[in-house]
Amino acid sequence: MKTASRILGTALFLDGFEVQDAPRYGAERRGAPLFAYVRASRQPINERGVIRRPDLVIVADDTLVPMPAAGVMAGLGDFTVLLVNSQEAPSVWKDRLNLKGPVLTLPATAEDRQELRFAGAACAGAAAALLGVVSRGATERAIREELGPLGAEVVAANLERALAAFDLMAGHAGCVQEGTEVSASGYRHPEWIDLPFEDARVAAPAIHGAATSVEVKTGLWRTMRPVIDYSRCNRCWWVCSSFCPDSAIGVNAEGRPQIDYEHCKGCMICVAQCPPHAIEAIAERAAAAAEGGRP
Amino acid sequence: MSETRFKRMKDLPSGHLLGSGTPMCAGCGGLEALHEIYDILGEKTVFVNAAGCMTLLSVYPFTPFRGSWLYTAMASAPAGAQGVRDALDILLQKGRMAPTDDLEVVVLTGDGAAYGMGLSATSGAIERGLDFLYVCYDNEGYGNTGQQYSGATPHGARTATSTGARGYPGYKKDLFSILAAHRPAYVATAIGAEPLDLARKVEQAKGLKGPRFIIALSPCPTGWDYDPKDTVEIGRLAVRSGVWPLKEYRDGKVTHTKIPGARLPVEDYLKTQGRFAHLFTPQRNEALLGEIQGRVDAYWQAVG
Ligand SMILES: Cc1ncc(C[n+]2csc(CCOP(=O)(O)OP(=O)(O)O)c2C)c(N)n1
Ligand code: SF4
Ligand code: SF4
Ligand code: SF4
Ligand SMILES: [Mg+2]
Repeated sequence: MKTASRILGTALFLDGFEVQDAPRYGAERRGAPLFAYVRASRQPINERGVIRRPDLVIVADDTLVPMPAAGVMAGLGDFTVLLVNSQEAPSVWKDRLNLKGPVLTLPATAEDRQELRFAGAACAGAAAALLGVVSRGATERAIREELGPLGAEVVAANLERALAAFDLMAGHAGCVQEGTEVSASGYRHPEWIDLPFEDARVAAPAIHGAATSVEVKTGLWRTMRPVIDYSRCNRCWWVCSSFCPDSAIGVNAEGRPQIDYEHCKGCMICVAQCPPHAIEAIAERAAAAAEGGRP
Repeated sequence: MSETRFKRMKDLPSGHLLGSGTPMCAGCGGLEALHEIYDILGEKTVFVNAAGCMTLLSVYPFTPFRGSWLYTAMASAPAGAQGVRDALDILLQKGRMAPTDDLEVVVLTGDGAAYGMGLSATSGAIERGLDFLYVCYDNEGYGNTGQQYSGATPHGARTATSTGARGYPGYKKDLFSILAAHRPAYVATAIGAEPLDLARKVEQAKGLKGPRFIIALSPCPTGWDYDPKDTVEIGRLAVRSGVWPLKEYRDGKVTHTKIPGARLPVEDYLKTQGRFAHLFTPQRNEALLGEIQGRVDAYWQAVG
């Protein structure tokens, strides 16, 4: 998504806009949910920071939409266009989320991880079309510019997906409405709270609990879900449990491995290593849909 | 290697101490090694962590550890460990802490700190005979800042600062030998993909006093450019191709703990990672591949 924002930003720039694009993430490393913003204007942009009232929101991983913690719905107004990378129909999302504004879907590409690599390019291509002010040519040039260093093959594969998405959305070109200029004089600073300087024993960020990291539900990261077929698991030497980097597989008293889906990040090491191939990889999208949500 | 309670995979712990929910990348080989190490070390540990990916493990108010954690500058973890050890010793001496409550001081750093920036602090700590265990997760680059090269980067690998057709022009530093030359209590290489070998080494280190070191090669999907599911497979290939010799130093003697029988060609290992792709496409760089293989062959010939 970070690259998608760069592609879109560069395309806008090539077509004469002033642009800001920036990813936003916390301490998490690769695999964690991530936001990226693009702000464009014909005039110099004085506004900085996070976009609070977006005109277009694109969701690359639809399993994140219903998760309040993921915050993808933040700032959605009545005119904000929502584009979800999903196999479900726009009307389904519109009803599910009870939205007034326009909802579109980009039919999610195949459920394998190889194809997921191109989701960013597809989203950028779709966004460029929806804005209605970015040409197909600029989109293509932006991809060549941003991905060029990765080699001709990567460029070609991403171009194919991006332009297909651009063409697919051509019918909706211009559905994104331009936001109004935000004036600096209207800025109101937050209500600051004064924190007195305390003794180090009070002020130091001491944690008295053990392993508090379990409060962070890294299960949100997953795009693929490992599922154990217990009829094939031979309760081996607990291969999966030792190799799982995230301590997400425990073995119970009967020697049965159990996956903690609240924390499994979906690396698929267990799937690759299980000796009798008892662990299957299922697309999170399909697994979550079958269960009515993420565990 | 002396008596061990880890004879078979079945002897490995199946409940895990390291908390889930860390911000490390999915499939992180360093985290895999750390969780295996922590299970054997146990809860009575205090970690002293130099800047690197693993700094992110403890981001207030979250920590995967069950005990204390101290963050130091990149070059200073062994100095931090000295302070913690001294404080514990004073508490013990004054009777303000029961000997059964004593903690093992564990330094945890990446290769950037261990092979480079922090080497002088480490050398000093060995000189002073500091009683501590140093765990280095070696992902062969400055992972946290975008995989720039470090003193542990292998010859020919692409990093953020070693691009072009020949990759990194330098050679991976032999940290094991540098440390062993100081004659500390214990030095071992390990890898998360060989959990039994690793468990025995942690067990050995735990049973000794003085400066002790475990260098764990840590396949890094993000920095090495491969699918996270391959972390264990790539680790195993590093051992089976002879690229990462598993060995230990104790009482002045180096012992190889797992000698690959029929060594696989090094390119079987290199081919799995995007950081070596330029050795194979657009055409094979026979000279560089030959040089890398030659160095591995020479190492094992010398081992005998
Ligand atoms: C003295 C100093 N220089 C640079 C940095 C910035 N920095 C933070 S983490 C890091 C990389 C550390 O590499 P390594 O020790 O191998 O750990 P990894 O990130 O790979 O886990 C760098 C350069 C720093 N924190 N301190
Ligand atoms: S996919 Fe498997 S190995 Fe990876 S985090 Fe989930 S349970 Fe652990
Ligand atoms: S690795 Fe496979 S066979 Fe072994 S315990 Fe896990 S699921 Fe069962
Ligand atoms: S960059 Fe590499 S070492 Fe750092 S958290 Fe990610 S996988 Fe682990
Ligand atoms: Mg490193």
